[in-house]
Amino acid sequence: MNLLLAEDDALLSDALSAQLREAGFQVEHAPNGAVAEYLLLKQPYDLAVLDLGLPMVDGLTVLRRVRAAKPGLPVLVLTALDSLDDRVAGLNAGADDYLTKPFDFPELEARLRALLRRSKPVSSASEMGPLSFDRDTRRATLRSEPLELSPREWMLLDLLLTQREKVVTKEQINQVWATDRAGGASEGGAGGNNAIEVYIHRLRRKLEGSGLVIRTVRGLGYLLEAEAVVA
Amino acid sequence: MNADPGLPPGPTPVPAGQPDPLPPGRWQPLSHRLLGKGLGALHGARSLRQQLLVWVLLPQLVLWLAGAFFTYNLAARYANAAIDASLLQATRALARQVKPVGNGLLIDFPRAAQDILEADPNDRVLYTVSSPPGQFILGNRNLPMPPTAGDAGAAPGDPRFYDGQIQLNPHLEQGEKPIFEQVRVAALYLSYGDDIGPSQTMLVQVARSSTNREELARRILLDTVLPLSVLIIAMTMIVWAGIGAGLAPLSKLRSQVVGRAANDLTPIQIDVAPHEVRALAQAINALLAAVQRNVGAQKRFISDAAHQLRTPLAGLKSQTELALKDATEPALQARLQRVHESATRSAHLVNQLLTLARAEPESATRQSQERVDMAKLARELTAELVPRALHAGQDLGFAVADEAEPLHVRGTSLLLREALINVIDNALRYAGRGAEVTVLVAAEGDDWVRIEVNDNGPGLPLEQQHQVFERFFRATHEGTGCGLGLAIVKEIVERHAGRVSVQSVHPTGLSVQLRLPRSH
Repeated sequence: MNLLLAEDDALLSDALSAQLREAGFQVEHAPNGAVAEYLLLKQPYDLAVLDLGLPMVDGLTVLRRVRAAKPGLPVLVLTALDSLDDRVAGLNAGADDYLTKPFDFPELEARLRALLRRSKPVSSASEMGPLSFDRDTRRATLRSEPLELSPREWMLLDLLLTQREKVVTKEQINQVWATDRAGGASEGGAGGNNAIEVYIHRLRRKLEGSGLVIRTVRGLGYLLEAEAVVA
Repeated sequence: MNADPGLPPGPTPVPAGQPDPLPPGRWQPLSHRLLGKGLGALHGARSLRQQLLVWVLLPQLVLWLAGAFFTYNLAARYANAAIDASLLQATRALARQVKPVGNGLLIDFPRAAQDILEADPNDRVLYTVSSPPGQFILGNRNLPMPPTAGDAGAAPGDPRFYDGQIQLNPHLEQGEKPIFEQVRVAALYLSYGDDIGPSQTMLVQVARSSTNREELARRILLDTVLPLSVLIIAMTMIVWAGIGAGLAPLSKLRSQVVGRAANDLTPIQIDVAPHEVRALAQAINALLAAVQRNVGAQKRFISDAAHQLRTPLAGLKSQTELALKDATEPALQARLQRVHESATRSAHLVNQLLTLARAEPESATRQSQERVDMAKLARELTAELVPRALHAGQDLGFAVADEAEPLHVRGTSLLLREALINVIDNALRYAGRGAEVTVLVAAEGDDWVRIEVNDNGPGLPLEQQHQVFERFFRATHEGTGCGLGLAIVKEIVERHAGRVSVQSVHPTGLSVQLRLPRSH
């Protein structure tokens, strides 16, 4: 995973490079806008982290030029400016995401991975811990054991997986079920919140002991997360 | 105004009868105080209106007095002249009746003529003929002699006029007081006698009471002064009204400045005003603009400084995170952990300071107003914060009283979002591990939307509850809070004409409540 880090602050870029390398990225560092632009245009990167307040050529200009040449390159803008105007300017110039300094590294890493996921052609297979989920073959396995899922359970788990560690609302679940009336109808169950609770209950039983848990978020919906190893 | 401690005792600058639009509040706007002093000085001993009136009417009064004086004098002179002329005529007529015959004088004075002359008791005409002057021949003995009687230089044929006194009751009885009357006298010396013999002189005097003359002058004076006085009164009223109209822009200016919020530095709008008032308004506007620039520069400085702090803080955080991973020695790790916490807290503080700067009215007025669905916003924000709560082992939930009811608020969604994040963040920060935090959105009557964030954490002692919205207040010094979270909430909610409150929850816990005006 080739990543260009354009950041002029030595302290930050040094630490960030080390952290990103540890996270498994091939990091190259550009200390100013001119170098960043040159490298981004010449080399094939998978990802760019761009500070807006760069010397020589400012970040927004670099972003605009690179965006014109490489429309598909995921760029995360890292900046000390966070007013609405700044955000809008950054996104208008073609930033895919926006992170304000100072930040927590895990958040940066999560956002970078999300950008990579989005930039790649939609993968038909997902994995989360011991669970693998192949949408093409419509097969799911848990610890290499096949996992039997009804169409509704399949759609529900699909939704929870794509939005892993985020809240999935009951409205979203109802919506997904509604788009696939045939599947839902074949199971004969009516929609609604009671039905959702029934299916969540079933999924929970099937995932028991796998290290994956479906949390109920009061008043909002559900969330799939890996159970914390250390409580 | 009376509550304003900045005003010296003395005449209040508020015109009587005008209610003070500003209640004596917690904060006295600076502009208000400045204007109060300014107008106070302007008033001086008395109001501008009174001063103007005095300076406009004083010359009028002088003019009126001088006019009256001259008119009276002129009238008296003409009245005298007319009376003198008639006296002279009478004197000449009388003189013609006296004819010298040889060495004597023949006075042919018919009784009828005498009666006519003495007919009117109010306008008595008296006469004396004497020859030589002083030697009474005919008429009234009591007529005063001319001031230059016996003066040889008196030219014959030249009339003399003079004022004198005549005793009306010459034969005084026992205890009777003499009665005098003012008279005007015409005197004429005439020569008669043969051409050969020594010429003799005869004095003819006719006197008339002055009463008539004075009456005439008084009437003329009255006829002149009365219309003048009416004119002066009318003038006063017109000037009074005129001054009022002229000063109206001043009170308009005052009403624009008084009652302003301390942070309202928008220019004063005066469309139709005299040059002088407009100049004053422009001067105030120039001052306002200067203050605004100054305040703006300071805010920009704070914002810039906060921005500048962010990059090094991010560096510090990242470096300590790295070092934490490499450090194996527990003591060193503990130290690094503290450095990291400190860096995190500083970072949080910088972020909160910037949020606060954004929430301040100065910049808030520039942000667009829109209809915000509070239920939707709160739901989204709660969902966003759920992963963090789960990490901290907390149960963050959401509830809305009535799903179907729209709960809209007019405001800046970005700011309302910050307010909600800060309330929820505050609850997550201080409720502790294992706590239950619930965000509740409900309508309160027809006019308010209430957002409650309830937790079952340790809560807050009653005596600290009123302090939670103060800047830099921290109930506990654990964690990475900076004491600005709820201050930001209050600032933003009050910007939206809402209210914040806090109360304890039974058995333990805290409930922070925001009430915002509902928009339909």
